[in-house]
Amino acid sequence: MMAGGLFSQLSVLGSSLALVFGLFVLWRRSLGAYVSAFAWQSGVVAGVAAMVAHFSGDHALYLVAALVFGIKAIAIPRLLTVMGRRFGGDRESHPYVNTEASVLSAAVLVLVAYSVTRPVVALSQLPTRGAIPLAMGLTFVSLFVVISRKKALTQIIGFLMLENSIALLAVLCTYGIPLIVEIGVFLDALMGFLVMQVFVYRIHETFESLDVEQLRHLKH
Amino acid sequence: MPLFLLLGAPLLAAVIALMRSRYARLTGQVSVWLSLVPIGAAGYLWREVNRGAPVSAAGDLVRADALSVVLISCVSIVAALAAWLGPGWWGREDLRDYQIRRFVIFSNLFTLTMLAAVVSNNVGLMWVAIEATTIVSAVLIPLRLGKSSVEASWKYLLIGSVGIALAFIGTVLAYFDFVQRAGATTQALNWTVLVTAAPHLHPDVMRLAFVFLLVGYGTKAGLAPMHTWLPDAHSEAPAPLSAMMSGVLLAVALYAIMRWKTVVDLALGTPFTNRLLIGLGLFSLVIAAFSLVTQRNYKRMLAYSSIEHTGLTCLGLAFGPLGVFAALLHLVNHSLVKSTMFLLSGRLHERYGTTNLAAVTGLLRTMPWTGALFAAGMLAVIGLPPFGLFISEFALLRAGFATGHRLLAVVMLALLVLVFVSLLTHLNRMLYGAGVEGLRRGEDHAGALVPLALCLAVIVALGLVIPAPFWRLLTMGAAVVTR
Repeated sequence: MMAGGLFSQLSVLGSSLALVFGLFVLWRRSLGAYVSAFAWQSGVVAGVAAMVAHFSGDHALYLVAALVFGIKAIAIPRLLTVMGRRFGGDRESHPYVNTEASVLSAAVLVLVAYSVTRPVVALSQLPTRGAIPLAMGLTFVSLFVVISRKKALTQIIGFLMLENSIALLAVLCTYGIPLIVEIGVFLDALMGFLVMQVFVYRIHETFESLDVEQLRHLKH
Repeated sequence: MPLFLLLGAPLLAAVIALMRSRYARLTGQVSVWLSLVPIGAAGYLWREVNRGAPVSAAGDLVRADALSVVLISCVSIVAALAAWLGPGWWGREDLRDYQIRRFVIFSNLFTLTMLAAVVSNNVGLMWVAIEATTIVSAVLIPLRLGKSSVEASWKYLLIGSVGIALAFIGTVLAYFDFVQRAGATTQALNWTVLVTAAPHLHPDVMRLAFVFLLVGYGTKAGLAPMHTWLPDAHSEAPAPLSAMMSGVLLAVALYAIMRWKTVVDLALGTPFTNRLLIGLGLFSLVIAAFSLVTQRNYKRMLAYSSIEHTGLTCLGLAFGPLGVFAALLHLVNHSLVKSTMFLLSGRLHERYGTTNLAAVTGLLRTMPWTGALFAAGMLAVIGLPPFGLFISEFALLRAGFATGHRLLAVVMLALLVLVFVSLLTHLNRMLYGAGVEGLRRGEDHAGALVPLALCLAVIVALGLVIPAPFWRLLTMGAAVVTR
């Protein structure tokens, strides 16, 4: 019982941290801050996965934790930093939604997450169930980041955080999905990121800015 | 074995193009020959499935039943058409070798991911494959770099990836539900296993899961209001890619929705999924019909018409067994005709140098064969007899009346009339008129048009009579969805 209590407390703590790192993006403006928030968030997700692996005895999850840590906490942030050095001057100075409204919306989104996940939490018997709404909250907040921010790089960060939230959700709900699917998802996420990275260079090349507000040539 | 041939041929074509950086034209021709292999495999699978047994391999990880075979046939035929009219075979003066090579690599990977999606029995891997379609096709949209093509592909990549991520949440929730009932097994994400367990799944969780799945895959299927990327991507992509995206990628996304509808219906009964499908389907139909009225770009016109047909198919899925049958028939008809139309639009673009509707006049004089086929295809898209789409739309409406959706069927009919009038007006303007001053007349490589004419002939044939084996396949496919 003692171990169960610790397990559930740690999972709630980890998921809250992941959500807080997601919220960082709403009030910070520089790419450097976003990248470190994302790197820390990935580290936390990897930590939660490793912790679940430890308590549940499902060793496949150690591999997932290692993948998340290696790719999302180290490799992708490095690539993002390289891009940041090149386009660092492009700050997210005027997002579509200002900081105050963003933080308020995020609060509402987390509440919504609590309400939609009610049947899931009610059905689950796992010690991690208390953290499920937090992971779903992070999903919604990441979606909000993608929609409300103007710079291509910020949108990529939002997308990567969305991927993190889903990985977290899978770990908390079911102690991970079958490994073959997990690896496929990883490959997709990595490929998706690399292609997006190529596109960032292309957008910069053709528009001489990373402001997606300029992407307005196509109308009905 | 046929399943491996199906997936192996496009993979081989992509690998050959990847390794050979010279001889871009030659690898293009190899890719055309290899694109015939999946059609053969589809025929074999069709025969096997019609005998009554689904084909499976690799420990039930890949599996083809009647529903898969419908999609496999569409994908392999459209992929072969696109390869034939792509830059690989006939060559294009305005494309450099590295662009041709890139096209061959990624169009084959695109085919591979779509085929993998429809033969994967594991719904997790199906998701992986559908997500991969976004990545490989987004790379090809800006084959010629330009502001609008970069914009279109960024929108597509971002909205597509985010949307499909939501579908994964739905998958995880359904898996969660399954694990709660039956415990974790490696087979748990297999569709066949899910279907057996479905009656015991928890309704509230499945409801939540289906909403995520529908929004996620619906984004890829171009259902309104998640359709905003579609007209941009389909109009900016090179014509053969547009043909594949509009002709079959939308159908593959609908296929994923159908698979999940089956599972969720077994847990909840049909009313829940039907209501959602009717809502999104009708909204797509409305958005598409009104956007078609004011269209000024012929590729965007075709793209909006795809949204219209996706909406119709979606509505059909909600109209009971008869409706699902009609929806599958409509899906096949649409994938043949829309890919033909996009390939023809590529020829128009090449000659007129613009996608502006107003700039294309005197088409019948300028390019008599292309013009005639374009006109015939457009009449098919509108849904006039004797084309197959008339029959399938008629069957859809009939299924709507039969299941008691009278008012809805009347609204559908009114919207179809609106589409009819606006498309016919646009077509009229394009076909006749003096033509453009100084534009060369006559066809380049008229032989390239033969398969397209064949395709339209098939659509006419499907409008006159549905052959017995095809009827059987569709009936079995519909039975898979409404089991």
